[in-house]
Amino acid sequence: MPHIMQMPEKITGRFKKVGPLFLFTVIIPTLLATIYFGFIASDVYISESRFTVRSPEKSTPTGLGALFKSSGFANSGDEVYAAQDYVQSRDALQALNRKNAFTHAYSDPSISAFDRFSGFGIGSTFEDLYKYYKKKVDVKYETSSSIVTLTVRAFKPQDASRFNEQLLEMAEATVNTLNERGRQDLIRFAQREVDDAKAKSQSAALALSTYRNAVGIVDPEKQATVQIQMISKLQDELIATRTQLTETRTVSPQNPQIEVLVARAKSLSDEIDKQLGLVAGSSKSLSSRAAQYQRVLLENQFADKQLASAMASLDDARNEANRKQAYVERIVQPNAPDEPLEPRRWRGIFSTLILGLAAWAIISMLVAGMLEHRD
Amino acid sequence: MTAFSQLATIRRSATIQGRVIYALLMREILTRYGRHNIGFLWLFVEPMLFTTGVTILWTVSNASHGSSLPIVAFALTGYSSVLLWRNMPARCIGAIGPNLALMYHRNVKAIDVFLARLLLEAGGATISFITLGLFYIYIGWLEPPDDVLLVTAGWLLLAWFGASLAMLLGALSERSELVDRFWHPVSYITFPLSGAAFMVDALPTSVQKYALYVPMVNGVEIVREGYFGNQIRAHYDLPYLLIWCIALTLIALAQIKVVSLRITPE
Repeated sequence: MPHIMQMPEKITGRFKKVGPLFLFTVIIPTLLATIYFGFIASDVYISESRFTVRSPEKSTPTGLGALFKSSGFANSGDEVYAAQDYVQSRDALQALNRKNAFTHAYSDPSISAFDRFSGFGIGSTFEDLYKYYKKKVDVKYETSSSIVTLTVRAFKPQDASRFNEQLLEMAEATVNTLNERGRQDLIRFAQREVDDAKAKSQSAALALSTYRNAVGIVDPEKQATVQIQMISKLQDELIATRTQLTETRTVSPQNPQIEVLVARAKSLSDEIDKQLGLVAGSSKSLSSRAAQYQRVLLENQFADKQLASAMASLDDARNEANRKQAYVERIVQPNAPDEPLEPRRWRGIFSTLILGLAAWAIISMLVAGMLEHRD
Repeated sequence: MTAFSQLATIRRSATIQGRVIYALLMREILTRYGRHNIGFLWLFVEPMLFTTGVTILWTVSNASHGSSLPIVAFALTGYSSVLLWRNMPARCIGAIGPNLALMYHRNVKAIDVFLARLLLEAGGATISFITLGLFYIYIGWLEPPDDVLLVTAGWLLLAWFGASLAMLLGALSERSELVDRFWHPVSYITFPLSGAAFMVDALPTSVQKYALYVPMVNGVEIVREGYFGNQIRAHYDLPYLLIWCIALTLIALAQIKVVSLRITPE
């Protein structure tokens, strides 16, 4: 009987011996940790998914390909970073939290007040939610393997996998939007070129026909050829007439034919002069118009060529855009965990104990060193 | 009742220890820097010269440090922190010997000698860091830090790490001369590994994990995150660094205890 009576006294005696420092640094923290990890802390389920953004191998750019390189068709690396950043953005949280789904999942009363969002009724703004969200959602990009790992921690396995799935879909959508945007930019640029070239070609053709109508010439060079042929025919005839005239004068000077021949020769040579003037010499001649005609014609031809090449590059751009699509490839689907991996309860308690012991040892050594100083 | 009287004793002892450390500090300043030319100002002019030299060297050689940060800011945050954790052990190794005569006084203990030197070194490095930082900001080579509190936190952690390492090596050096011989090469080898000359983010992902095993790297990354904010992506493991500091402190204090028992004042 006295043995039992002595028990409490023995315990308090032990307690006094232990000293307040040990109590505060080791016993109380370890007790608190045991209570927290043993009874309070809620189970955390982790859902993980992995994906990668793949784009077909880049071919060495040739000609037009090189031109489109600079028009901003990004490689997949940028898209991965964009997806990663998007997942950790307020926009993503806002999308997840539609109809307060995220807030509900993380402020359920079944979750311990220490773990749930706004557990003690303080800090329930969107920024607070965002801070909380960043602790629960993690995206890691492994540069060497270019695989992105997306982990979501939640207090219910369905929640974890649901949010993971949603985030994954949003990341995919981000990559797709970027892709679509890049494609459209590429094609729009080429399309604009084609439109420009078309307009130019049309106006050049119009200018050519207006010029033709105004001057009344289809092609000065061809017309000149015709005219020169005519002149040479006239000259042939002139020579023939003159020869005949000379013959007639020599044989019978009184021949009445002579006057006819003279008149003919004169009208022939007049006609030759007139025709020559049309080809070259006067301001209305073909040769002076040929220069201007050449300019209009050249413009027209150039515009046609430009249109053809713009058409070809539009085709190229379409092909390029279709070929260079980046794909989000899911490697690991979001899993629904069937066992809480966190908190690691024993580990938590044990590390509190170890840290407490270390703190106790350090402080007691420091105090002991201090106490060696005496007056 | 007893607890109160104990607290009073501790407070009294703490006052005495404070006075002893202050006296040792003053003595250290005088014996080390004397009263010639600029005297104790050398305390931080020395590290400033070091940092400036390295900054100029890195700037001139256009050293690649794997980030888009201005090289001056990079050199300042990197090399100052090296000075912080490297000079403390250098000064604490063999610190007991020259002060052995003082141990004759009852109130001068081995830990006081270490603490005085640690305060001096940490103070010198800190003043040099701040002065240079302000100077560079003034002449426009540097932007003001993004988050002063975070810089301070990282700096204090680095100082803690350096101090505990210094006390451990200082105590061990009393037991074996090899510590002194080994510390010099080790401190030079760890310099390129310490994160002063690279950003963890610039390393390949597979190497980053291993780089963070070096405790100093974590501290430097915290300082840099505080200094540059969102310009960089800092990687660090705070619990890991804290565990290093706590463990080192524990072992160091135990070693000082062992060593101080063996000291025989002249």
